[in-house]
Amino acid sequence: MLVEFELIQKAQQGDAGAFNQIVTAYRRRILGTISRLIGRPEDVEDVSQEVFIRLYFSLGQLRTPEVFEPWLYRLTVNASYDYLRKGRRRMESRMADLSEQQVMMADAVAGARAQSDEGEKRRVKDTVHELLAAVSEEDRILLTLKEVEGLSLKELEKIYHVNENALKVRLFRARQRVLKKMQDVTGPSSPSAKHDEVG
Amino acid sequence: MEPRNSNQSEARLDELFRAYREACPDPDPGVNFMPAVWAKIEAREVSATWFSRVARALVTVALAACVILGLMASSRTASYRNVQFGQSNVYFNDTFVDAVQAEHTARLEPLHTERISYLEPQ
Repeated sequence: MLVEFELIQKAQQGDAGAFNQIVTAYRRRILGTISRLIGRPEDVEDVSQEVFIRLYFSLGQLRTPEVFEPWLYRLTVNASYDYLRKGRRRMESRMADLSEQQVMMADAVAGARAQSDEGEKRRVKDTVHELLAAVSEEDRILLTLKEVEGLSLKELEKIYHVNENALKVRLFRARQRVLKKMQDVTGPSSPSAKHDEVG
Repeated sequence: MEPRNSNQSEARLDELFRAYREACPDPDPGVNFMPAVWAKIEAREVSATWFSRVARALVTVALAACVILGLMASSRTASYRNVQFGQSNVYFNDTFVDAVQAEHTARLEPLHTERISYLEPQ
């Protein structure tokens, strides 16, 4: 926990200062999680703000401060899911743009930018976004929370209110779809093989 | 998928996710992050208050309309009864047959008396 239980209780009683402290403590973590969940840097702040607005209006419903973090993650997941669902068309068009970008990158053989560290990060991001596009928004979020955010099954159980076995099955299926997509995209070599081929 | 290839693919995917985590560090919030959160909260509170006010006003108007319409309907019924049947509410207390009979009697009685009075001089 990044904040004390007392602070949460104060915020529940309408203490604006306490709420400010909670937001300050968690905003960076929430921004990071959302940036990895939605994959659109320009919208990360908006979605994060939405999480904290939902937190403000629903804080009174939180019975036990002990479950504050899973609960905040749940708000984060819901806000991200709403964003992804609303922007499905936009995301699809973005994926189309992405393929075009990759083609352009392939044309720019051994380009200096592509060799840079930022270029490598960009490629990793693009590849992961493309792979995650193979699964539904719900599975994309679940997989990201497990594989990228590093949440345990127990933590996911608290967030989703679903038993561990059901989560395992869902994660396995989502992972299988992503693996299949990865083979289609990168081929049977290493993750960087595609880029090595390009380079 | 062969087991060996499958394991390799699993390992590649894990590696890719790790690389993705490193490529996407937690970003720093903008300077307007907190003010924007409070501005949005206030905007929602205002719209929620406005909506609840409008809803309350609509409920009050609907209730008032119901009361007025109810009063109008009851007063019209009362005056209708008075005009049609005097103070009697026989049509509402008696059976249909009694009511028809009462009306029939009310129509015939004057004729009957007139007939008697007309016949008397003869």
